Amino acid sequence: MSASRLIRAAILPDYDQPIEVTTVTLDAPQHGEVLVRLVAAGVCHSDGHVVTGHLPLPTPIVLGHEGAGVVEEVGMGVTHLRPGDRVMVSWIPACGHCWWCVNGQPELCEQANTSAVSGERPDGSTRLHWHNAPLYPFSSAGTWAEAAVVPATSVVPIPDHLPYAEAALLGCAVQTGVGAALRSPLRPGDTVAVIGCGGVGLNIIQGARIRGASTILAVDPAAENRELALIMGAHHAINPAQEDALTAVLDLTDDRGVDVAFEAVGQPELIALAFAAARRGGTAIAVGVPTPNATVSVNAFAFASQEKTLTGSWFGGSYAPRDVPRLIALWERQQLQLTSLIRRQYSLDAAGEALYQLLHHPAGRNLITLHSSPVPPDISEKGA
Amino acid sequence: MPIFDTPEALETILGGFFERLRFVEQAYLIYQIGGTMEFVFRKPDTRIRWVPQPKTAATPFTVAYGVPTEPVLLTFEQDGDTAHRFWLGRVNLQQALARQQVVARGPLSRAMKLIPHLDEIYPLYAHYLEDVGHAEWIGGARS
Repeated sequence: MSASRLIRAAILPDYDQPIEVTTVTLDAPQHGEVLVRLVAAGVCHSDGHVVTGHLPLPTPIVLGHEGAGVVEEVGMGVTHLRPGDRVMVSWIPACGHCWWCVNGQPELCEQANTSAVSGERPDGSTRLHWHNAPLYPFSSAGTWAEAAVVPATSVVPIPDHLPYAEAALLGCAVQTGVGAALRSPLRPGDTVAVIGCGGVGLNIIQGARIRGASTILAVDPAAENRELALIMGAHHAINPAQEDALTAVLDLTDDRGVDVAFEAVGQPELIALAFAAARRGGTAIAVGVPTPNATVSVNAFAFASQEKTLTGSWFGGSYAPRDVPRLIALWERQQLQLTSLIRRQYSLDAAGEALYQLLHHPAGRNLITLHSSPVPPDISEKGA
Repeated sequence: MPIFDTPEALETILGGFFERLRFVEQAYLIYQIGGTMEFVFRKPDTRIRWVPQPKTAATPFTVAYGVPTEPVLLTFEQDGDTAHRFWLGRVNLQQALARQQVVARGPLSRAMKLIPHLDEIYPLYAHYLEDVGHAEWIGGARS
């Protein structure tokens, strides 16, 4: 086992503070863990929510919860990965043993959730240190760094022909969005509304297209997101800044409402909009992550009298070892777009700028690229 | 039967515990929270606050009761039994927020300063209950 090493990482020292790119200590991987030298990492709205404190995770924290890179070292007990493997890193290392894992909902894994909230491994330790104090990784990942020690269960090998940048998106945005659509009640020929077309919403659109939706309505105030939504498979793009979104959805569905409405922002009023936009007997699905103390107000009469369902989707109900190979297969068959999702790439030193752009000019998915890799990020598109 | 029959009973027991917390090592965390933290109780109805004091004061915060007269930064609303179980370390705050057993208002991120230290504070409540003659409550209330 190697000794601890010094790496550079983008750190949020405390809520609402500037991102600090600095040198931190990374311990060697222990039992069941791997050290991944990162090449690309996604910039997700959840990173922004941590910065503002709306997603209150312990600080100081290394941001980033999706990424891709090369396995450099494996801990004891790791058998499915070897040094040199190209991999993607996800953020729910399902334990496989808790009640939720055993009962088919590994995305709700008790151990993974506890680690995400506490920032610590199950034994209370961390592999990151800063100023001789614990430094926490975002959801057991912490991918805005040159390297990360992560549970092996959140790491999945990727084929040589899948570029790191595209692979990084599989860690959160694609699994969350596509998974939400594929595991929804959506049937071929159904109508769908997607409220919020950022990294996750765009992938809901892709999932709905793959699932066979006949009409996909995309709702987003940002022109770039609406354009991307159409590229991903939406049939109509609605600008809620210019027209009432609910009226527009009803106009486009013979006043019936959609079969399935997704909310991908995490705002209570938009969850209520999704519920209102669903037809009688339809389903509204909250995918975006609100602050933990948010509440939503919807018409209670509609549950019984209109048989409406309001439900949620966490991480798209995904289980990385099962779903990432399936998503890669869809990309290889040109059914899943990845390169088109990538809008801008930033160096680790520009992580603060990446965050600023995320919060003020959100569009598609942006990446942090780590240039210490022996394999430069390749942005050639093989998928659609 | 609820643990606390009356507002006075809750204020005596939990208020007394909060008074004791003023003198423990973790009391300084109130400065990191950065404002008054209020606990609003239902069944029985009452409210207790931790009010930060200047760093030159004898303790980092004082315990106040009743309607606040100063600005409140964070509010946690819960019933008396939930509060009792929380300080025994038997409430998963994340789940309690999701089930609205605990309703939080204000910047939750500030409360995160306290959460990593709760495991050190929970045993203090059990010890306190023993000290005030209510050891039988330590196993009480559904966990």
